[in-house]
Amino acid sequence: MDIATATTAEPAVTANTDTPALELEHVSYSYSKGGKRVLIDKNYVFRTGRVISITGPSGAGKTTLLSLLSGLTTPTKGRVLHNGEDLAKADRYRFRSHDIGVIFQSFNLLPALTVAENIILSMDASGKTFDKPKKEIAAELIEKVRLQPEYLNERILHLSGGEQQRVAIARALSYDPQIILADEPTGNLDLATQDDIMTIFKDLAHNEGKCVIIVTHSPEVAAQSDEVFQLAPLRER
Amino acid sequence: MFVLNNAWKTVIRNKGRNILIVLIVAIIAAAATIGLAIRNAASTARETGLANTSVTATISVDRSKLMEQARESQSSSSSDSSDSSSSGDSTPDFDSMRSALEGSSLTLADYQKYEKASSVSVSSYYSESTGVSGTDSFQPVETSTANAANSSSSDSSSDSSNSGDGQQGPGGDGKGQGGGPGNMMTSGDFTLTGFSSDTAIANASNGSFTMSSGEVFGYDESDNGKVIISKTLADFNNLSVGDTITVTNPSDTSLTYTLTICGIYENSTSSNTNAMGPMGGTSQDADNAIYTSVSTLKSLGLDSDTTANDDNDDTTTQLNYTYVLANADDYETFAADVKAAGLDDTYTVQSADVEQYESSLVPLDNLAKFALTLLIVVLVVGAVVLVVLNLFNIRERKYEVGVLTAIGVKKAKVAAQFVIELLIVTMCGIALGVAGGAVASVPVSNQLLASQVSAQESEASSQQQQFGRAADMGGGPGGEQQSSSSSSDSSSSSSSSDSSSANSSSDSAGSTKSNNTQQGGPGGMRQAVNYVSEINATVNLAVVGQLILIGLGLTLISALVGIVFVMRYEPLQILADRS
Repeated sequence: MDIATATTAEPAVTANTDTPALELEHVSYSYSKGGKRVLIDKNYVFRTGRVISITGPSGAGKTTLLSLLSGLTTPTKGRVLHNGEDLAKADRYRFRSHDIGVIFQSFNLLPALTVAENIILSMDASGKTFDKPKKEIAAELIEKVRLQPEYLNERILHLSGGEQQRVAIARALSYDPQIILADEPTGNLDLATQDDIMTIFKDLAHNEGKCVIIVTHSPEVAAQSDEVFQLAPLRER
Repeated sequence: MFVLNNAWKTVIRNKGRNILIVLIVAIIAAAATIGLAIRNAASTARETGLANTSVTATISVDRSKLMEQARESQSSSSSDSSDSSSSGDSTPDFDSMRSALEGSSLTLADYQKYEKASSVSVSSYYSESTGVSGTDSFQPVETSTANAANSSSSDSSSDSSNSGDGQQGPGGDGKGQGGGPGNMMTSGDFTLTGFSSDTAIANASNGSFTMSSGEVFGYDESDNGKVIISKTLADFNNLSVGDTITVTNPSDTSLTYTLTICGIYENSTSSNTNAMGPMGGTSQDADNAIYTSVSTLKSLGLDSDTTANDDNDDTTTQLNYTYVLANADDYETFAADVKAAGLDDTYTVQSADVEQYESSLVPLDNLAKFALTLLIVVLVVGAVVLVVLNLFNIRERKYEVGVLTAIGVKKAKVAAQFVIELLIVTMCGIALGVAGGAVASVPVSNQLLASQVSAQESEASSQQQQFGRAADMGGGPGGEQQSSSSSSDSSSSSSSSDSSSANSSSDSAGSTKSNNTQQGGPGGMRQAVNYVSEINATVNLAVVGQLILIGLGLTLISALVGIVFVMRYEPLQILADRS
């Protein structure tokens, strides 16, 4: 909690472990109406203070689940609950900017901006107020994801994949969300860095009480997490 | 705040492209500024030019219709031999034309009827002029040697000068068209002009004058018989205030009129004298103008009503009736009212002031039209360019839209950011363009106006030549410039030949008839119009305001592309997008 202290109106659930942060309730999803269903009747509770891995073979609907959990889209059937509230009816832009930090597989950083600008952009977008200058918070985050401080004013273009990965994590943490959602966070990294990143995630969950959800097909990552949500391959029809 | 900040940062970040857009917008804005400034200045000039000045108007016959009639009657009727003897070039049938024109002049009562028909306040003045001949004791001032030689014997002198008038008579219109007080073609040695009021005298054809001794006559009957004469004429005949002079009827020398000199005046402007000098007879010389009141003319039986009604065609008096209106708007109302009061189609209400002003505005109008075209073209091209640029811009930034929406920035905010970015850039461009346009608009618009004026002038001169040709065919009004040199030759030659032949009566009859009908000569066409050649196309706040509105409009139109694009963007797409 010493990285960014947010003064939000959110209920103070962050410190409590075992509080349901996100719940899936009979969630089904198909991209087009009446089309092929990617997810069928999924139920799961994502609690704070845990690292949860979502695994499954290709085509099992991992990315779809990610977009449902991050509020980029809504299920065709069932509900996604955030702190007991239906995400489909909530302001999902506010949810994305406030309550969840998403680390996309392709990072989705703005290449023309510097590291610091990318991080501060997310902080600005959250609309939260911070008790320290944003630049300072960004510097601390960069240190936390183990990047050199001089990276702050480097453009994203000039960074390697692993470095971009860390910047993406730093950005996801910058506005102190309750939930961290990572899509294949270790896919581009060597084993040592992979462990490094996992240490950061575990630290976030266990010491800061965040709900860390990792979408991965790496058995090592799954083994290091507290829970594994196994998505079975679709066997429709 | 987030939107503004982000927009500003993005603008700063993309310097290259934005400078390009700023330049394009600046050029568009500069052109639009000049266009707007010209239109503004033109409309201001039009509105204020005649707003507060009084306008004089006259009623005159429709020139073109009469010319047409004259030409038709010329082809059908046989030519008059007496005319052809004195004129070398084509011999139009003056008499037939004159008879066609005769009776077209309005009477004093008609004029006054129309004045009463007006719904706006209108004042009027009029003058009547006729020719009288001198006697042995009272001779006209003469400048031309030909005329001087002729005037030694009184009879032939008056006749010959009359005939001279007859040939060139209709061309002597130096001043306003539409029967303005400039076109008195009167046979005789002197022009005896009766005025209705001081205003009428002030607008006398020979220009303004000052009294050197005595005073101006009154206008009621008690002052009948009193005249004022020019100082030159007084000196020439060794006359002073209080003396009496005797003049005769030009066609009947036994008919004499005795007049008392109550004042001697000095012309302060004499340009008309020079212009007419070689063309007319001595009566055309401003120095030979005798001024009196209309009441005097009436008492002598020389007023227009009497001369028009009597059977003797030899003496005619020309009536110049002028209405004075408060401003140009009143003039328009007056013209409509007069038409409603039953003025025939062959008559038109004309105002030399308004028409001269209108024609002086022709280049300005053309310029305003040009400015409008420029404005439209520039704005359309500008809008298209901006839309295209913005389209490419937005497509390029699709990924950015995705990232922003994915991290939870609302689409409306993203769209607003894009619009604000564009606004910042276009406003910079407009500011630069307005500054540039403001600096350039005055010299550029005056340059453009100068070219319009010269184009108009060359057009006018070709029109003048064309009209001169038409005038030859019609036999009536020759152009002032063209006819002056040749007519002076023919004047002396014809007067010498005429003095031997005794055909003076028919000639002078013809010429006096033409005097009567010749009011409203086409002088206005030939008069060099003093075009408005300077406009004050400075950029004022109104222009800046209009430009900012235009800029906002253009920006919104081009931003619409971006807004539509952003609004249709699905945040989910970001999972598939990777730059």
